Amino acid sequence: MTDAVVIVLREVLEAMLLICMLMASSTAMGYRFRWMGLALLFGVFGATAYALRLEQISMAFEGFGQEIVNSTLLIAIAVMLAAHNYLAVKQLYNPRYKVPYGLFLLVFVGTVSMAMTREGAEIYLYGYSYGVLAGNMSAVFSGGAIGVGIGLSIGTFFYYALKSLARNKRLVTCCVVSLILAAGMMGQAALYLSQADLMPSQGALWDTSNVFAESSLMGELLHAAIGYEASPSLTQVLLYLGSVLTSLAAMFAAWFLYRKPESGEVGEAR
Amino acid sequence: MKMNGNLTTGRSFFARALQVLLLTLLCSAAWAQIPVFEIEIREHLFFPAEFEIPANQKVKLIIYNRDATPEEFESYELNREKVIVGNSQGVVFIGPLKPGEYPFFGEFNLKTALGKIIVK
Repeated sequence: MTDAVVIVLREVLEAMLLICMLMASSTAMGYRFRWMGLALLFGVFGATAYALRLEQISMAFEGFGQEIVNSTLLIAIAVMLAAHNYLAVKQLYNPRYKVPYGLFLLVFVGTVSMAMTREGAEIYLYGYSYGVLAGNMSAVFSGGAIGVGIGLSIGTFFYYALKSLARNKRLVTCCVVSLILAAGMMGQAALYLSQADLMPSQGALWDTSNVFAESSLMGELLHAAIGYEASPSLTQVLLYLGSVLTSLAAMFAAWFLYRKPESGEVGEAR
Repeated sequence: MKMNGNLTTGRSFFARALQVLLLTLLCSAAWAQIPVFEIEIREHLFFPAEFEIPANQKVKLIIYNRDATPEEFESYELNREKVIVGNSQGVVFIGPLKPGEYPFFGEFNLKTALGKIIVK
């Protein structure tokens, strides 16, 4: 049962932080949570489809289908999060602007359903083969429920912490969280790409496993929150930094295009 | 005239260097044998649970899952994770690594599926 708790919690944690950040951000953007229904629906569908097709997917691309699908999902999520940051900053500097509903749905539903597809597939696979097929339903599912429960309570805490901030502060904080989560995703994408030998792999640049072991609770939390790796390779670090720069560039572009606050208007009025 | 001569030798030198570089790259890609190591998963255990690989070299790891249940090959130290569905196999590239010990585990059987790669 403890296995199930750990496995489910590990998968749920990262997705939960992402979902709660986006929920807080959507309140700041003036949208209700109806998008969540759609995202959950797509996410569950995606996870089930991915799990059921995993064998064929794994065999595709010379045995590296899994790595290609996972890294594609991760990169797509990171790009969507950069788009989120662009839209958030645009709204921040342009109080009359509201993100069009279609675009909002694309970014928010897209991000959450892709994250759920990746994490959910593993939970499905584990629950189905070790719970349903092995006739070990009660242990696996109660363990899983505890894992989801812990994840949900951390998520709820995180959501209300964000929600307690004033709208503008909340948007900015969400952008920062989104930037960090996206970077963590890109770090993981680098892992999959090196694993498939599609990107160069090197020895660890540094090793902080004696400070926070990745297998420790703190390590797992840091991994979910900031994409912590105790012994990252150069490729991982470069993609991580690349993602940070992309998100910053998206925010800077929005700021540059839409700032013109009072000073500009005063200038024009004269 | 002199300048012209210099230019041609310069160019042919460059062309030759490029040729040599390309050939070396091609040869190394074609001839450099990436060592292959195989592990089996049986009854949620790894066989061999411990093995040696050469240091500072890329290594191809083939993991055969002989169980009917899926397993996730995972290692924090190697920065690797891959799900291998029941009765199938998966390939993972690792390294180049510094000498040392690199533990790995099966995420779906945290208590039994444990192993270690020793890099020498």
